[in-house]
Amino acid sequence: MSDFGFHLAFWSLAAMTLGGASMIIISRNLIHAVIWLVMSMLGIAGLYLTLSADFIAVVQVLIYVGAISVLMLFAIMLTPRAERDNSQNIKTGGPAALVVLLVMISTLWVAIDTDWGAVREAALTDQARLIGESLIKHYILPFEIGAVLLTAALVGAIALARQDDEDAAVHAASLQAELDGEGSVDPVNVVDPPIASEASDTEAAS
Amino acid sequence: MTDLAQLSNVLGAWYDFRDLNNLQRLITEWIAEWGPDWLASIVTGVLGALGILAVIGPTLLILIWVERKVISRFQQRYGPNRVGPKGLLQPVADAVKLILKEQLAPRAADKLIFFLPPVLIFVPGILIWGVLPFGPRMSVADLNVGVLFLLAVSGTAVLVIFMAGWSSNNKYALFGAMRAVAMSISYEVPMVLALLTLVVFSGTMSVNGIVEWQQQEDVIFILLFPLSAIAFFFAASAELNRTPADISEAESEIVAGYHTEYSGMRFGLFYAVELGNTLVVSGFIATFFLGGWWLWGLDQWVPSWIILLVKTGAVYFLLIWTRGTLPRLRIDQLMSFCWKALVPATLLFVVVAFVERTLLISEGWDTTVALPIMAVFNIALTLGAIMLFARVARPAPLRRPARIRMAGTEIGGLRAARQVASRTEEPQFQVGGD
Repeated sequence: MSDFGFHLAFWSLAAMTLGGASMIIISRNLIHAVIWLVMSMLGIAGLYLTLSADFIAVVQVLIYVGAISVLMLFAIMLTPRAERDNSQNIKTGGPAALVVLLVMISTLWVAIDTDWGAVREAALTDQARLIGESLIKHYILPFEIGAVLLTAALVGAIALARQDDEDAAVHAASLQAELDGEGSVDPVNVVDPPIASEASDTEAAS
Repeated sequence: MTDLAQLSNVLGAWYDFRDLNNLQRLITEWIAEWGPDWLASIVTGVLGALGILAVIGPTLLILIWVERKVISRFQQRYGPNRVGPKGLLQPVADAVKLILKEQLAPRAADKLIFFLPPVLIFVPGILIWGVLPFGPRMSVADLNVGVLFLLAVSGTAVLVIFMAGWSSNNKYALFGAMRAVAMSISYEVPMVLALLTLVVFSGTMSVNGIVEWQQQEDVIFILLFPLSAIAFFFAASAELNRTPADISEAESEIVAGYHTEYSGMRFGLFYAVELGNTLVVSGFIATFFLGGWWLWGLDQWVPSWIILLVKTGAVYFLLIWTRGTLPRLRIDQLMSFCWKALVPATLLFVVVAFVERTLLISEGWDTTVALPIMAVFNIALTLGAIMLFARVARPAPLRRPARIRMAGTEIGGLRAARQVASRTEEPQFQVGGD
């Protein structure tokens, strides 16, 4: 890799990453902020590519751009007052900044402390295999902990999103009452739930 | 490396049309003699992109005509037959009309995000061609994480669709975008799992490596993992928004979905990318499951890219066929089909692939004997799974829905959304800017 091409790629990608990151803070609209976040993530993926870590780069795009940002957009849209002013978040900014600072300091410390000379000489051809082998052999405990954490998150998400039968019955009854023009129904007085059997056919799916 | 490739090394002149990589290789070698490295890389990239554009540009114009003609055959009508001989110039006339049409934008639209998507949608649409191997050495970028690259790039398209739907400030566009996002997130799972079977079994993530594995073992993957092929086909047609699964732009429900507000050539760009994506997905189905550029030795005699194009055409015809004959599914049917049928079935086949790979590698089974047995076993398992789904697990038709299906319950029972839905004095979604 000659110097000019590498520097061109590095500086333009760095500008893209940092510009996107600062626009996340500057833009007042939450949806705009997520789209700037996507741009920043793409820049980071490009930086991984300049380090010839193509597996990490592709996974970065796959997970952060393709999945997480889309989920963020989805969550923003399903939340009431999705368009609210981004500047309200300044209230929780203090603790968040502290956490970010701690993470940054520890990451920097690890990065400076590590001897990268060995990495520079190693062949980086089949990284997916290397990463997989080191995950299974050397880092099996963090890997398993991550798996357990993800499973817990999955179960938790289902538990949060799942509608109880009783809850659904009350909700359906109140909606029906609104359609009939009777006003809202007292949740206590719902004796016979109109639905019981197929309450959760679509919830589990989505 | 095959015999053909060795032959090409000897006869690798620029006019050797069996391997179109020769021309590009000669140009980059010529540049490398006098120029810096980065210039050669840039020229290689630009040449690859131009090559892709030169292939898909004219192909799209023909495909529009082919698709309309074939669908009209399925529907017992003539199709376009006025402009030019047999209506061949109809796509050109359509394109001219679209270019001349006025570009409208809703006044309340989010201006910047509204203008970006028709352009941005091209980026994944072009990038995805980069890892499609047209021959042993004929892919623009033969990444060793090619399969992941394919999934990552196709996943970004959904973001663009979301931008289009949200910025239009139109409830139909927003619904279309939300459906597209929900469907794409869901159908990416069986897609990934179907490809994971191939990756596990062949032991490589390179697209060309998967083709070379099929060539080496003398078998195509649709025989070994038919259910993965079926799942991938259906998931791909769902991601492409084609008719059995095109609920994100269902014209009888939500006008045109996410591109409701796009007029003229902006709509044309969406349409073109959609057709191009259909073509490239046909190419990938042909590559992963039908052997790609390889066909039991015929690739020694016929240029490999012609074999791939023929297979692509066959898969594309299948996609038109499903589009012309199958009715559109409802969104809850699509979702439950994905999560209750496709995901468990593809997961089962991932496990099967793990076991069979272990038998081949660790136990050292002879591939010439083991692979036919495994193929028969997997085909039987696939048929069993399909029979099980059709007889037992098939969801019963809902004749009298006992439950009121409204936004609050439909979205998935999220509490916030439900609160919004039950508040009558406010609109359900506050769309668009101020």
